[in-house]
Amino acid sequence: MSTPVAKTVNGIVVDDTFAEAFGMTGTALVITADTPKWAMISATTMTGFGTSVIGCGAECGIDRLMDPSETPDGRPGVRVLLFGFSPDALLPQLKNRVGQCVLTSPGSACYNGLESSEKFALSAGPRFFGDGWQLSKKLGSRRYWRIPVMDGEFTIEDKCGMTTNAVGGGNFLLLGRDRAGLLETTEAAVEAIAKVPDVITPFPGGIVRSGSKVGSKYKGAIASTNDAFCPTLRGAVKSELGPDIIAVLEIVIDGLTSEAVANAMRAGLKAALEAGASRGLARISAGNYGGKLGPHHYHLKDYLA
Amino acid sequence: MSALRLRFKSGGSAPIDLSDLTPATLAGRSHYEINTIPVSAQSTVGDHFDVSGEPAETLIFEGTTSLCDGIGSGLRSGTIVVEGHVGAYAARFMKSGRLDIRGNAGGFLAAGMKGGIVTLTGSAGDFVGALLPGEKFGMTGGTVHIAGAAGDRIGDRMRRGTIIVKGKTGAVAGSRMVGGTIWTETGFGTDPGTLLRRGTLIGPAVERMLPTFSDCGLHDMVFLRLISRHIAEILGPLAPKPLPPKVRRFAGDLATIGKGELLLTA
Repeated sequence: MSTPVAKTVNGIVVDDTFAEAFGMTGTALVITADTPKWAMISATTMTGFGTSVIGCGAECGIDRLMDPSETPDGRPGVRVLLFGFSPDALLPQLKNRVGQCVLTSPGSACYNGLESSEKFALSAGPRFFGDGWQLSKKLGSRRYWRIPVMDGEFTIEDKCGMTTNAVGGGNFLLLGRDRAGLLETTEAAVEAIAKVPDVITPFPGGIVRSGSKVGSKYKGAIASTNDAFCPTLRGAVKSELGPDIIAVLEIVIDGLTSEAVANAMRAGLKAALEAGASRGLARISAGNYGGKLGPHHYHLKDYLA
Repeated sequence: MSALRLRFKSGGSAPIDLSDLTPATLAGRSHYEINTIPVSAQSTVGDHFDVSGEPAETLIFEGTTSLCDGIGSGLRSGTIVVEGHVGAYAARFMKSGRLDIRGNAGGFLAAGMKGGIVTLTGSAGDFVGALLPGEKFGMTGGTVHIAGAAGDRIGDRMRRGTIIVKGKTGAVAGSRMVGGTIWTETGFGTDPGTLLRRGTLIGPAVERMLPTFSDCGLHDMVFLRLISRHIAEILGPLAPKPLPPKVRRFAGDLATIGKGELLLTA
């Protein structure tokens, strides 16, 4: 372990390092349904298999639940965020996910969740499912499409906002002496981040256990296990782990703005430092590529509350 | 409130055209200049109105009658308040802003209107939101609220926007309509939606339904919530009560492409 220490808080070492994040394209949708349960089912389904742009095409997650008073149609809703490498890469993901997972979900409706001058044609794919029976209704500056389906109508807004100023890959690593305690600590950090608007933690439950490094010994694999952070390889490779570390978990954060990611980093680190002291959290670090690849650098020491 | 006030003093017997009088067109003009604006072949503003106040974002007409045509025509910004009746063509081709009429309106109110809000405390004549011969479409945007009744063929060839009538509409509302919404709180006269292609007619009753409208059943559509909320946001206390959870949908006019609808709320 060679990374310098920035600070020690509650007996937990915080490395003097930074998370290196990348510019992304992001969008947000509001999915409503007759009940909170069905809004969540639709949102969960459409954000599924959305952990990493590398293998999933998009990074997706649930931003927050929405009260009926906040949604366009006055029904329970869920705001979801989707991120991709570029507008051209994200648009087909948006179209397919809405078409296969929201259009198909009982009672659902789908609206723009991001005010922006840049737009995606949200309805461009799903509305043609109407086979000519789709109806458009422009109310004020917003156009909606009504598509006849077997349980009535699927309502979808014509366009949704899009930003190319989104950020993907904010992160920090939690290194623990106890695997169960580390998971509890990381869960607490994910819960704290969930309260921050405009961000998601796209991996399962918000947590990554298989951090990766760039490249592989095998031809065709663009990423492989981050052996320097694998505790079972501590004696076999040039390890980043001290002798007491038996598990490492990572939280990856995507946000519609860099400020949102920064807020999430701050909230997550605070929760981890509070929850981790009694649960065997030994050290906090972050993933980067030497600062040469990603334009957004989040130095851990800047986000210690 | 800073406003320019034009008090109608002379009835006369011939209609006058007030379509050149909007807050934008009068901005920066002196009373003398305003008084010399022609309103007919033989008369000017000064022949019919006492002018007071200074040009501002609000223009007030006082004591007008049904001879006063074209009020709010081409309005692009600001507010016009009419404390009286208006003649024909009020709010014609209006683009933005607000026209509040505290009286009745003649024919072709909001004909060809593109945006903004028109409110009317009284009743309106025929062809609200319609088009004139030679034009392609009627109203293409904005919101009209009529507290009284409306005449025949409102929304003729209407394409977008919303007309709300608290009272009853006349015959053949929404004739040849290609989009937009007409919502009556009292009911439609005979044969609403004749040759309706697209668009939505909403009301509790129809005096006589065309045989070319087909019953699609009772439905709770999300769109009903959207339109209720939208109108409430635009009109505030003037907005009608939100639509009921379920309405009976009639598709029509099946004599054309049949992609319009008449929604019965009761």
